[in-house]
Amino acid sequence: MRNPNREVLIRADRQVIPSGRLWNPDADVYRAKEGWIVKVDLAGICSDELEIEVRDSLLSIRGCRRDTHYREGFVYQQMEITYSRFEKTIQFPSTIEGATVRQDYRDGFLIIDVRTE
Amino acid sequence: MPDISETAPAAEPPPASTTQDEALRFSAIATGQKFELPVLALQNLNLFPETVVPLGVGRPRSVAAVEAALGTPEKLLGCITVRPERSDDTDAKQADLYDVGTLVIVKRMERLPDAMRILVQGTERIRVVEWKQEDPYLKAVCEVLPEPRIVDGDQVEAAKRNVQQMIQEALALLPNIPAEVRIAVLSSVEPVRLAYFLGSILNLGVEEEQKMLEANTADELLRLAHNNLARELEILQLRSKIASEAQTEMDKAQRDYVLRQQMRAIQKELGEDETGEAAEAELLRERLEKAELPDEVRTEAERELKRLERLPPAAPDYHVIRTYLEFILELPWLKSSEDKLDLGEARRILDEDHYGLEDVKERILEFLAVIKLRPDTKSPILLFVGPPGVGKTSLGRSIARALGRQFERMSLGGVRDEAELRGHRRTYIGAMPGRIIQSIRRAGVNNPVLMLDEIDKLGNDYRGDPAAALLEILDPQQNNSFRDHYLDLPFDLSKIFFIATANQLGPIPPPLRDRMEMIRLAGYSDREKLEIARRYLIPRQTTENGLNQAQLKIEDEAVERIAALYTREAGVRQLERNVGSVARKVALKIAQAQAENVTVTANDLREYLGPPRFYPELARKELPAGVATGMAWTEMGGEVLFIEATLLPGGRGLTITGQLGEVMQESARAAQSYLWSHAADFGIEPEIFKEFGVHLHVPAGAIPKDGPSAGVTITSALASLYTGRRVRPDTAMTGEITLSGLVFPIGGVKEKVLAAHRAGIRRILLPSRNEADVDDIPEDVRNELQIVFVSNIGEVLDAALEVLVANPPPHVVTSDSARGGRQPEPEPLSVKG
Repeated sequence: MRNPNREVLIRADRQVIPSGRLWNPDADVYRAKEGWIVKVDLAGICSDELEIEVRDSLLSIRGCRRDTHYREGFVYQQMEITYSRFEKTIQFPSTIEGATVRQDYRDGFLIIDVRTE
Repeated sequence: MPDISETAPAAEPPPASTTQDEALRFSAIATGQKFELPVLALQNLNLFPETVVPLGVGRPRSVAAVEAALGTPEKLLGCITVRPERSDDTDAKQADLYDVGTLVIVKRMERLPDAMRILVQGTERIRVVEWKQEDPYLKAVCEVLPEPRIVDGDQVEAAKRNVQQMIQEALALLPNIPAEVRIAVLSSVEPVRLAYFLGSILNLGVEEEQKMLEANTADELLRLAHNNLARELEILQLRSKIASEAQTEMDKAQRDYVLRQQMRAIQKELGEDETGEAAEAELLRERLEKAELPDEVRTEAERELKRLERLPPAAPDYHVIRTYLEFILELPWLKSSEDKLDLGEARRILDEDHYGLEDVKERILEFLAVIKLRPDTKSPILLFVGPPGVGKTSLGRSIARALGRQFERMSLGGVRDEAELRGHRRTYIGAMPGRIIQSIRRAGVNNPVLMLDEIDKLGNDYRGDPAAALLEILDPQQNNSFRDHYLDLPFDLSKIFFIATANQLGPIPPPLRDRMEMIRLAGYSDREKLEIARRYLIPRQTTENGLNQAQLKIEDEAVERIAALYTREAGVRQLERNVGSVARKVALKIAQAQAENVTVTANDLREYLGPPRFYPELARKELPAGVATGMAWTEMGGEVLFIEATLLPGGRGLTITGQLGEVMQESARAAQSYLWSHAADFGIEPEIFKEFGVHLHVPAGAIPKDGPSAGVTITSALASLYTGRRVRPDTAMTGEITLSGLVFPIGGVKEKVLAAHRAGIRRILLPSRNEADVDDIPEDVRNELQIVFVSNIGEVLDAALEVLVANPPPHVVTSDSARGGRQPEPEPLSVKG
């Protein structure tokens, strides 16, 4: 049902941001002698629920963060940590296919060591 | 909640993205998977996958749904829109919701005093399979729908590019779109994501948005997005076109304005327009703000001023409006003068200005007394009727002085166009307000004494009847909102003290007469004239002709003679003119040093004024049989006239001459018939009526006369003629007769009696029913007169003829039996005191 009297083409009250299907954690990428070191801000995940995929020059990290601290009877007062499925794809300047990928989980960061040498 | 990680990636996700050819268990939930979810009902809003949207959540049930979602490890929530047909504000039922919605992740939540704010990210489309509960929050088993499939990749790509092109165009017309939106829109390469984003950002309405959400193929989705965007763009372009046209128009107005400013500067240089119309309008506005105006008038004036400000001074309407506004500002809408309410002072002023006229002064003082007791009294409307020169106009002036009010006079003589009183509509060229409103403006207050002079001389023709307009003006019930055609605003005339003057009552239409309180000003007696001359006329003429009081004295006898022999009037205007002539002649003498001071006696008058101009009908010393003295009323006052009758041997009937009107001729016939039928009673030989004709003449023959009041006189003249007995020469008479011999009352008693007195007559016959009018006669005159009241012809003849008739006809006497047993007496009754 279109309102014939509506005024604005674009609704200023809808602060819509286009996004991907899933949320994206933040990541730093270091260039090292042996290759690349990727540090992803991903606290509170379980390594079972993590997938790392290398394809051409792309490194994809997917997984799911679950809230394991919630107990029956809790009431959320504030929530700023995003849970559920996430996805992060990092593009490298050259292909990394065939590189050795090792993952480490330290101090709440997911460290991925990509050795091309 | 399902454990998504355990979901087997059974179904291949649609080949939308080439990077997703392998099933990856975290990237998407398998299509067709069912799980239970808390559901948030959205009003007027659709959520699409692949968008992040902040939402305010206020309803208790919605808050409960969000809290339920937050209580799960993954914070998943279903968002389903309420169908738009629903308009009431209660919580939506299951049936009110669409089937297809969006699965979202609640990313953030913060609590506000009475609501919560959440940030959600749409992930997949879902369809409700089964509702589980409505309270405390909606809960349903939902099935995940596949991402829209691309059927024809090229077509989708083409549509996408088109959409992007249109977005470019739209953004060019929308300067206020935030930069991040621009970037987001233009950098979005995924067709489905772009379409969903458009769906959420364009204001399409729930139905259209739902259609987009339910589209199962990318082709369909892009087509919808394309069409909607195209329509929006068209509207946007149209609007922009209108705006730019308005802009052009405004530019033209701007250009005119600049040119006009330049012209003004040039005019100023030339010294042609020093004030300028802007200054003029400004000045008017200032005056308008200061002026005391009723609300209605102020609104109208402001509207006109606005029109004036928009007009160039060369426009024909400009001056019309300016004149109109100035007129409105000059009118005393709310300004009244304060009444002087000192009765003693008022009496003094009236006495100072006018001698005599006791009735009128009394009436004015009565009115003042009423105002004093009740200040909001409506002003009276007076009508002064009287002969010229008796002081009607100056009395008005003096009333104004006594009341302390402004005096304005307007002459209605010869006015025959209604528009002269009521004004012309402003649409006419040269339109002016009517005379009434103009007089008020001149007076400067809304309660002047307004004199409507010569109201009996109003004319009327095809242009309208001014008397009819006066009906409204002089009606105290209506004139508080008198609408002048020019003003077109109601003006309150009810505070005006109207005084109308007239010489005659006859020509004034009865409805108009009815609205006014009539006060008659009869003529002055000789004694009064003398007094007026002494007090006002001589001093005034002396001063006006450059003399002082010591240099000119006019003896009373001289004044009386001027009044009698050099003037014939009820008023004192000619008397004053003659006094003025005398004064000028005296001034000449004094200027030529022939005399130092002059006393004018009666005998000097021939020298100053020439031979007497009028020989008034003085009482004749002896009247032959057949002649009787009558009295007549004229506009100039009263007059004495003689009715002469003579027998024509062998003649027939009644010949009547002397410019007599029909009524008077009929009176004559009635008189003759009465005498004929009662011949025996008066000792008349009946043969005489057959053998002789009668000629009746009333000098002066050139002056038309009419009216019934000569009936008594004619009867006396005829009776005298038939009986041979003479009418007493010291007696004048007036009265209407009937065929049965009764005497009816007549008008103008005072004028008639004064005229008879002037003529030297000292015995008057009046109808008994006029007895009350005798009080109007000045005392000094009354004291010198013997007044006989008669009620039938028998009494008339008894009193008038020299030899008394022995027995008056008995049937005539009876008519007067009601009058306090007063019998018709042969002996005349004299009235004294």
